[in-house]
Amino acid sequence: MVSLISLGCAADHSGGNQPSNELLIVGYDREPDTLNRFSTHILEDIQTCVVEGLTTTDEKMNVIPLLAASVPTLENGGVVLRRDGGMDVTWKLRPNVAWHDGVPFTSADVKFTVDAINGPNYNPESTDGFDRISSVDTPDALTAVVHYKEIYAPYDIQFIRGALPKHVLEGRDIDRAQDYNRNPLGTGPYKVADWQAGEFIMLERVPHYWRGDEYPKIRRLLFRFVANTNTRINQLKAGEVHVVALMPWDKFREMQGVSSLVIHRTTGNAYEHVTLNERQIPAFADIRVRRALIHALDRELYVKTILDGLAAVAHGAIQPVSWAYTDQVARYPFDPAKARALLDDAGWKTGANGIRERYGKPLAFTLITQAGFAIRETIAQAIERQWRDVGVDAKVELHDGTAISSLWFEGRFDAMLHWWQMPSDPELTTFFAADRTPPAGRNINFFRDDDLTRLLYASDRTVDRAERTRLLHRAQAMLAEAVPEIPLYNVTRLDVVPASLQNFKGNPTNTGIFWNVHEWEIR
Amino acid sequence: MTRFLARRIVQAIPLLFVISLLAFFLIHAAPGGPLAVYLSNPSVRPEDIERLRHALGLDRPLWSQYWSWLAAFVRGDWGYSFSDGRPVAARIAERLPATLELASAGVFFALVIAIPGGVIAAVRRGRAADHAITAAATAGISLPAFWFGLVLQILFAVALGWFPSSGRTTPGAGGFLDHLQHLVLPTLVLACVQAAGWSRYLRGSMIDALAQPTVITARARGVPEARVVMSHAFQNALGPFVAVVTIDAALLISGAVVTESVFAWPGLGSLFTEALARRDYAVLMTLLVLSSTAVIVLNVVADVAQALIDPRVTVE
Amino acid sequence: MIRTPSIVLVALVAAAIAAPLLAPQAPDAVDLAHRREPPSSSHWFGTDELGRDVAARILDGARISLAVGLLSASVAGLSGVAIGGIAGYAGGTVDAVLMRLTDAALAVPRLPLLMIAGAVLQPPVSVLVLLIGLAGWMETARVVRAEFMTLRARGFVESARAAGASHARLILAHLLPNAAPAIVVSMTLAVARGILLESALSFFGVGVRPPQASWGNMLYQAQSALLTEPWLALAPGIFIFVTTLSVNLAGDRMATRP
Repeated sequence: MVSLISLGCAADHSGGNQPSNELLIVGYDREPDTLNRFSTHILEDIQTCVVEGLTTTDEKMNVIPLLAASVPTLENGGVVLRRDGGMDVTWKLRPNVAWHDGVPFTSADVKFTVDAINGPNYNPESTDGFDRISSVDTPDALTAVVHYKEIYAPYDIQFIRGALPKHVLEGRDIDRAQDYNRNPLGTGPYKVADWQAGEFIMLERVPHYWRGDEYPKIRRLLFRFVANTNTRINQLKAGEVHVVALMPWDKFREMQGVSSLVIHRTTGNAYEHVTLNERQIPAFADIRVRRALIHALDRELYVKTILDGLAAVAHGAIQPVSWAYTDQVARYPFDPAKARALLDDAGWKTGANGIRERYGKPLAFTLITQAGFAIRETIAQAIERQWRDVGVDAKVELHDGTAISSLWFEGRFDAMLHWWQMPSDPELTTFFAADRTPPAGRNINFFRDDDLTRLLYASDRTVDRAERTRLLHRAQAMLAEAVPEIPLYNVTRLDVVPASLQNFKGNPTNTGIFWNVHEWEIR
Repeated sequence: MTRFLARRIVQAIPLLFVISLLAFFLIHAAPGGPLAVYLSNPSVRPEDIERLRHALGLDRPLWSQYWSWLAAFVRGDWGYSFSDGRPVAARIAERLPATLELASAGVFFALVIAIPGGVIAAVRRGRAADHAITAAATAGISLPAFWFGLVLQILFAVALGWFPSSGRTTPGAGGFLDHLQHLVLPTLVLACVQAAGWSRYLRGSMIDALAQPTVITARARGVPEARVVMSHAFQNALGPFVAVVTIDAALLISGAVVTESVFAWPGLGSLFTEALARRDYAVLMTLLVLSSTAVIVLNVVADVAQALIDPRVTVE
Repeated sequence: MIRTPSIVLVALVAAAIAAPLLAPQAPDAVDLAHRREPPSSSHWFGTDELGRDVAARILDGARISLAVGLLSASVAGLSGVAIGGIAGYAGGTVDAVLMRLTDAALAVPRLPLLMIAGAVLQPPVSVLVLLIGLAGWMETARVVRAEFMTLRARGFVESARAAGASHARLILAHLLPNAAPAIVVSMTLAVARGILLESALSFFGVGVRPPQASWGNMLYQAQSALLTEPWLALAPGIFIFVTTLSVNLAGDRMATRP
């Protein structure tokens, strides 16, 4: 029929513009709510091209200096621990950097940013970290000394989102400053040329970028908003867009054969897992039940078949890209016999209809996940089947994105197929400390282990990299022993770019793939 | 006439009030709220959520929020979108042209297909032409619109490359011709689906009209068939047909949700889908109430038009 | 030719009822080693993204889609007959109020409102049937009202009342049977609309949710595989189309019978 014919003549069709150094078109999945990096709750790809931070994270998740001349550390004296338990971080700024309007970028902007975020008149998305800063001194235009009330381990990414320009926003209501929020003043390689609501944002190169006039190489970047995934991929095939970030895995086969495109695989800093809410389902509090549930799942098979081998099985919350990662942790291979034995041992006997029960109550619960992601829905259904095979009744329920967020935030769910984008600093406290259950944190398993909690807080309270690594390795081992949640697989990023694009490096963090857009070139 | 208009307007107000009340409480019954989107960011903490909740006025009792909303709405203040903080009126205004464009193109071509189709089917009733047209029309109303759109997209845009697969313009190169090219596929989907229903309706009312005594008399008097059909029958069938077209066209403005989604058409339909996903209450409420108002108003207009066209119909 | 749509429908309904017996495999039998396979002798319509037999899911989905269509049409029909009947019979203010109510209900855009309701309530199939039904009574109400008013205009009601008939007897024994053909036609069209609405709602993920199969949500899940595995979208799409077409044709035939 129609579809078979089109299958026959489906070619890589460049019906649109070819990518060139004149114009590169990005198919973006949503319109940003604002370009103010501190107000947005969405990924910051577009913003990254315009507004730069003091540091950024590269493709290996290393923190590298951007507008700062170097990253302050204990070793180079940039970080000084005070006797009262606080710390001082001295940022030396790169000289000769100016905002796009010519005004020099100075430490006054850094101080202004901290004061604005901590001030009562602005509602940024998060004040995390900023609220631990007591004050900022600016001894000269290129030096900012940030005084923290306590030791704050992720200080190096404190200013990753950039700085607010003092000379534009001082004294104003930043939430309502639409001129800035729609067209932010930055120091980056691009500035906003046009924003057609509902359709696209056009960025164009600035004439004098601080890295040198030859950067950026590509003159204009166009971000087209295409919410519907299928439409976006169709546009990619038709040549109407050239770049698509975070392509769904189930499109991989389809796009593989297209010769004008290259699919980059980046091991991401995120992992998919099944959360087990111990507060709501008391059965999950029994470690034998949790271990049985993980043994019942053939995670290698999922990765090989549903994910087409594009991801790797995960064994913990910290991912291989992180410096804190260790693979010396307990493993749980697929072993349904062992799962059944563990459940029997825990007192859950198989009932008449094949479902296990104890004291007359069945081992039944709902497994929720977000609708709209084909792969996730498929995995949920596969999990449901494999649990049913060992006598566990899990009913799959799909909820949309906003409903899911509030359900886990309030802890009103049984089990959830979910993923965390981990922060680039490997802090696990908010996810597993006993006192960080919602609303105080993201311990949505409601897991309680006092030794682990102490360990995690200790790892946060030091800036000594070696010490932190030691503590976090121990934490990962303890977590693998206790399996409060079931890690499934690492979320590999698939980014599709033209074959003619040079210097694309990808990025596993929220910084996004545009972190080095200034050196992209079409050749 | 003035009394009629006045009465209809007075009747419309409580209707709109009830619609807005239902919509408000339905939307607020939804799990999650506009703040839910912030939660997936690991650096957003509960203090941040509380602060934002208070700033957006979401911690007030529901009745209080509704009253504030209503009072502002009738003053023309449609609030600020929860997604990007811009005025709702602005967000709707910038999407309206795209939807009007698609809706008018869709309505125009639907009429171009439906009017001849319905008339011919009625005139040649029972014969081959009627069977063919009726079969096509029935097929048209049986087709799932989104599937139709996807198939067209795959065939004409991706496989054959004759038309762009989505969007309204090619940015940076938006000429008139380019604009037209983008309009073709979504208009085709809308027009086919609408034309199917309209031609069936017109056929039905033409058949009734052709059976009227005036038509039989005209034929008996030797009036040429073409004039009988167009001047007498069609004129009579026109009134109710216009009413149906008007209402459907009004519904099209908010209802082209599926087509706009498949073709990434930046109109009110895709604004609705995005606002739904983000629980942007302000935008959703305004869209629902506005489109209902538009239909009610057009309902009155259609009744008046019908009365003007067909002197036999009086407004009660 | 005249009977074909009815035959098709009866066959579909029978197949749906007998689905568990007819299906070669269970519709929820996951087999990850044989995902997305093209049609073959063991899987007539191929397999889906979990290796489940598409043919079995079509049969299972038929139950849901047909049930939603039929039941929602019943809800629409019953409420439409009630409202339209009262309006047409009573006339006067009652009629005016009910007709304004009908106009108001028609003014609210159906699909967007159902989408909001679907997202808000996350309804089980039973509630979905109710919602779709409540979104469709207006057409039947208008038809029934028109029929009753015609019968009233012909003096039928007056003479019957004069002869001593009670309201109830009049409505149930005389008016309704006379209006029955129009009601049946209207309800038939409501079945088609119900099936299409359910598939549209599932397209946005707010209709019937997996793993329960419905033709609509099978299409929703097949969207991402349109080019690589077209059979996944062909089968449910064709079934929706054929079923809706048969229902509409059958309704048309009934309408043109004298």
